[in-house]
Amino acid sequence: MPKVLMDGNSAIGEAAIRAGCQCYFGYPITPQNELIEYMATHLSRRKGCVFVQAESELAAINMVYGASVVGARAMTSSSSPGISLKQEGISYLAACELPAVIVNMSRGGPGLGSIAAAQSDYFQATRGGGHGDYRTIVLAPSSVQELADLTIRAFDLADKYKIPVIILGDGVLGQMMEPVEFKQEAPAVLPVREGSLRGAKGRPSKIIKTFTSNPAELEEINWSLFRRYGLIKKQETTFETFMIDDAKLVVVAFGIAARIAKGAIRNVRAEGLKVGLLRPITLWPFPDEAVKEVVKNVNHFLVFEMNMGQMLEDVQLSLEGKGEVSFYGRPGGVIPTPSEVSRVISRLYYQKGLK
Amino acid sequence: MKKMEIRIAGFGGQGVVLLGNIMGKAASIYNKRFAALTQSYGPESRGGSCRAELIISESPIEYPYIIDPGIQVILSQEAYIEFGGKASKDTLLIVDSGLVKVDNSPAAQLLSIPASRMAQEMGRPVVANIIMLGFLAAHSNIISREALERSIKDFIPAGTESFNMKAFEMGYHYSLLGDRPA
Repeated sequence: MPKVLMDGNSAIGEAAIRAGCQCYFGYPITPQNELIEYMATHLSRRKGCVFVQAESELAAINMVYGASVVGARAMTSSSSPGISLKQEGISYLAACELPAVIVNMSRGGPGLGSIAAAQSDYFQATRGGGHGDYRTIVLAPSSVQELADLTIRAFDLADKYKIPVIILGDGVLGQMMEPVEFKQEAPAVLPVREGSLRGAKGRPSKIIKTFTSNPAELEEINWSLFRRYGLIKKQETTFETFMIDDAKLVVVAFGIAARIAKGAIRNVRAEGLKVGLLRPITLWPFPDEAVKEVVKNVNHFLVFEMNMGQMLEDVQLSLEGKGEVSFYGRPGGVIPTPSEVSRVISRLYYQKGLK
Repeated sequence: MKKMEIRIAGFGGQGVVLLGNIMGKAASIYNKRFAALTQSYGPESRGGSCRAELIISESPIEYPYIIDPGIQVILSQEAYIEFGGKASKDTLLIVDSGLVKVDNSPAAQLLSIPASRMAQEMGRPVVANIIMLGFLAAHSNIISREALERSIKDFIPAGTESFNMKAFEMGYHYSLLGDRPA
C-alpha cells in the first residue's frame, strides 16, 4: 500500500484492523478521539467485527475481557484519567492470562489534568497499574509510522504471551499527522485464539476466573506469571540508539521526548559535542542490559522526560550505582523545544568537563 | 528548500485544517518530502480560534511543532494579533484583506488577497480557503502546483471539482495581476 498522510490515532485504528482486531470498545476522551472515530467508521463496517461506544471506561475494559475470553483480538483506548479507570479490568486480564491491547494517549496529570501531551503515566504503565503482582508489556512509539508498526506488534505479543499490552503514546503523537505506510493487509479470516472459550461440546467445561480461596494455588499462578515475564524480558526487549558510538554523554528518552532529544543532539553535535541517545521502545521490559552496555564506555547520562522523573528510576536501577545521572523534565503538558534541550545538554556537558 | 514551516491561522469553519491537510498530503505523498502536520482548535466547531501548522522538510522531522514559520496564512484579525505582529523579518505573511486589517508588520513580505470576498462574489463562500491556496501556490515554490491540484481533488466532495479548481485558478492568477500593498 502506498503511503498516506494520517494522524497517529487513526493510524493505530487502521493498523489494528490489519492486525485482525475484531472488537473495539471505547469511551471518548481527548486526545484519542480520532481513534474511536476511526473504529466507529471503519471497524464497524467489517464483517464479523464489533464496535461499541461503551457507557464508561469500566464497561469498555470489561467488554475487552469478554471478547478476549472467547478468543477475539480486542482493543480499547483512552487517555490518562480514563486509563486509571480501566486498571481494575487490566489487573483481571493479567490474572486470567488474557491478551488485550490497551492504548493510552497520555495527557497531563494528576487528576483530570490537561489535554496537552505528557509522559507522566510511565510508572502506572510499567509497574502493572492495578492491584496485584503483575506486569503488562509497554510499547512506546515515537512517530506515526511506529504507532502503526507497534500496534501490529502489540497484538502479536499479546497473543504470544497471553498478556495485556499497553501502547503508551501521548497527545502529540495521537493528533499529529505524518506519512505512514501499512505493510500488511487485513486477514481474510479473523484469527481466533486457541484454547479460548467457544462452547464445551465434547469436553468438560472450563472456567476462567481470577478468584481462588487457596493461597498456595494463587502463589503458583503468580510464579507462573513471573516465569513468563522473565521470558518476555529475555526475548522482547527493544530499544534504539542514535549517534552513540563516540558519545561522552548519553541522553535517555522515550516517545515524543526522544524525538525532541534527537533534534537537540543534532544541534549540539554541530557544535562538536559528542552526545548520543538511547531510546527504550519497550518500557517494560526496560532495556536495562542496553544501559549496562552503554555505561562501559560512557560515564554521563541525562534522562529527559515530559514528567518529574519516572523512567529516571529505571535508568538508575539499571546502572546499579555506576555512572552519573542527571535529569531534565517538563511536566503538566508543556512540550519543550529542541533548542531548550540543547541548552540543557551543553550546560551539563561543560559542567562535567567533557569538553 | 531544506525545511519550511507554515502556519495557517483563522477561526473554525474557514477550512483551516482542511488547507493543512491538502498541503500536507501534496507535500508528503505527491512531492515525497517529509511532513508533519499539527492542529490546534478550541472546543467549538465553528467560530473558535483554529490553526494548522505544517513542517515540510528534505530530511526526517524530529520536533513536530513549528518554531519560526517561513509562511503564515492569516485569516482572522484575532490570528493577526496573535501571530502577525510576532512574525520574523523573513516571514511571508499572507492575509485575507477582507478579514484582516494590518498595522505595521515587521514581516519582510506582506501579501494580501480578498479571498473571502472573491468567494462570496463567486456565490461559493466555502472556497475562500482554496482561493487562498492558489494565491499561496503562486507565491511560493514549496509544493508543486500539480501536487496541490491532485491533493485538492482528494479532499473535496465529488461534484465540486469544477468550482474548486476555478477557485484555485482565481487565487493563482490574482497574484499575476500584481502585488498590491495591504
